[in-house]
Amino acid sequence: MKDTATIGFGTKVRKFIYNDNTVGHVFAAPFIFGFICFSLIPILTSFYYAFTDFSMGSKEVTPVGLKNFAALLTDETFMKSLGVTLKYVFISVPMKLAFALFVAFLLTRKSKLVTLYRSLYYVPSLVGGSVAVALVWKQLFARRGLFNMVMKDMGLDTINWFGDQGLALFPLILMSVWQFGSSMIIFAAGLKEIPTTYYEAAEIDGANGFQKFIKITLPCLSPIILYNLVMQTISAFMAFTQAFIITKGGPNNATMMYALYVYKQAFDYNNMGYACAMSWFMLMVMSIITLVIFKSSKMWVFSEAGD
Amino acid sequence: MKKKLLAAFLAATMVMGMTACGGDTTAQGDAGTADGSSQVENSVAGDEEQEQIKLRMAWWGSQTRHDRTVQVIEMYEKENPHVDIEYEFFSFDDYFTKLKTLVSSDQVWDIFQLGGNFPQYVDKIYFLNDYIDSGVIDTTNISDAYLKITQDTAGNQMGLSNGLNTYGIAYDVDMFKEAGVPLPTDNWTWDDYADACRKISKHTGEFGTSGFTSSEFIAGCSTYIGQQGKVGEYGFFNLDLTGMGFDDYKMLTPYIQMRADLIKEGASPDAGAEMEITNIENDFLVTGEAAMTWVAVNQFPTIYDVCAAEGRTLALASLPRVTENGPAGSVIQSSQMLCVSQDSQYKEEAAKFISWFQNSEECNNVLQGERGIPINDKVREALKASATAGQQEMYDYVDLVGTFETPEKINVLSPDGQDQVVDQYRNLIQQVVAGEITADEAAKKTYEAAEAIFK
Repeated sequence: MKDTATIGFGTKVRKFIYNDNTVGHVFAAPFIFGFICFSLIPILTSFYYAFTDFSMGSKEVTPVGLKNFAALLTDETFMKSLGVTLKYVFISVPMKLAFALFVAFLLTRKSKLVTLYRSLYYVPSLVGGSVAVALVWKQLFARRGLFNMVMKDMGLDTINWFGDQGLALFPLILMSVWQFGSSMIIFAAGLKEIPTTYYEAAEIDGANGFQKFIKITLPCLSPIILYNLVMQTISAFMAFTQAFIITKGGPNNATMMYALYVYKQAFDYNNMGYACAMSWFMLMVMSIITLVIFKSSKMWVFSEAGD
Repeated sequence: MKKKLLAAFLAATMVMGMTACGGDTTAQGDAGTADGSSQVENSVAGDEEQEQIKLRMAWWGSQTRHDRTVQVIEMYEKENPHVDIEYEFFSFDDYFTKLKTLVSSDQVWDIFQLGGNFPQYVDKIYFLNDYIDSGVIDTTNISDAYLKITQDTAGNQMGLSNGLNTYGIAYDVDMFKEAGVPLPTDNWTWDDYADACRKISKHTGEFGTSGFTSSEFIAGCSTYIGQQGKVGEYGFFNLDLTGMGFDDYKMLTPYIQMRADLIKEGASPDAGAEMEITNIENDFLVTGEAAMTWVAVNQFPTIYDVCAAEGRTLALASLPRVTENGPAGSVIQSSQMLCVSQDSQYKEEAAKFISWFQNSEECNNVLQGERGIPINDKVREALKASATAGQQEMYDYVDLVGTFETPEKINVLSPDGQDQVVDQYRNLIQQVVAGEITADEAAKKTYEAAEAIFK
């Protein structure tokens, strides 16, 4: 207020700074920068490369039209990896969500230790995608690993987890289910939001625990289930670390996850263009599945505001 | 109130940003003076004024190699204070993943290691012919024959070979004796080999042979083709790497059948067990769970020492043959070489380092032929004189392979795309084991996959 000449300018600047749009953009700037440089530009270039024979080793890029996509149709490993990934998603996601919901449900009790337990159960998700956990898993299920030692001590036959095509995928699925923490936290928050009056009313009407769960908890939680389902499905499609570290895709490609095969084509076999085409194909598959989930959600997601 | 807080916060961040910038400039100034002073120190230390240079170098290999190479790099830096070598080391697969990214960004290390797969990277290799002619690289004690093993067909010198190498089968002598299996002879056959695997596995409950797969394709599958017909009649790929070196896929069938049978019977590890082998140091032969494994012989002294410490004796046997008196199929080749990169700013300095690396007895005394048997005659004699038991076995074995009849022209190089063929080949064997396809179909598909890389 000392200098009258700068008041006009000062207020303008202040107005500009206080403007919600400015504030928003300033705070979003680091993200926008990161998104453009590390997501948008690579995404667009990969779209271009999908129609070329680009490889990491060479400088020349020749457009080849739809050849990469046509080649997908005759690639046996591609078909197999698609099947393996779908199997992985359809088994691991429901199991993970069910387990997360179960643990979250157990931890809604009023006890001082609940917070501690919740943090403990969250730990596996913190170390989640790390290589170290995958290596531990590899040791646990190895021919002479902990699981087989225990089996042997109990007088049972040992199981050749990673040598058997039919079994190899299950340790990987189990590892993903074990990392249920983030879904659990979201479920726990959702459970707290359900008004206790509903349960009281049901109790007065004589409903048992199971009926309360089916008729009250599940419908009230359905928007959160939808959210978790979509997020977990997408991340399950991108599973890479476990397969890369533990099995390298074997035996007989029984654990050849889609993302792992993309990596192999891009970096081991020097077919970056083909790998890009594969990635775009995966994007389409994931979009379709997500779309199906959203469309079907009208039938099973219960929204209090709507009714 | 909230708005004021926000304004204060924004102002604070701006101020902090500004001071941070200020901090940066002073830091840069400091760095500048630090650089300057270090240059002054150097010109005092060295007699002549020399520009400080930084060379980047990378290699792949085992822990032993990493330790020894780092040690010689430090020796070189001491002798040449103006050179600072920044090194990176990797496992084999990671090395090539990294190399590919550097190739596409034109930033390949000044000095880098390549093996028989160099044709893929030939655009990035600076040929050493000029440096050899001008004497920057000293080749007085290296015979022309040894220079030739790292030249292309046009005579361009890709690099200098770090060592001579050949494939063989390392085996545990006591396990053979315990199972009552005769020790391998110089011309044993694949039937003898499979027999030994089965007997040992039945008798000891361990694997007859391990599955060190990165060597198996070349030492087994590819050699098997070269062993058929007359000496030099067939090869897996043809001599100039433009197509296949044999016409009938059925030539592969018996070998694939044998591999699949051994796995099925538990005499050789299945895919799950193979996954537990990450490098030669934890191969099943070394851990005592197998009686044989495939080796490139430069790996032998290391595993020999490890086993000797546990009271076990390893020995080297030649690769089995198709028929007793047929071609051996083994060839002596370059294990790997150091190359100068096209992207290098200091090609001559890089070449000087390579010359020292090859010729200095002091340097090779530390390296101990871990990359293969040195090509410099003097260095080799010096090392042989002080060889350990494991190294002696390796030298004797290479001498033995040298006496085998070899074709005039051989091809030990791998074409671009071989990795994919090898992966498919292994996968097909697993399908045979699972009973999904027959060995004949697997052979046909392997052949087609290999043929496809030339189209």
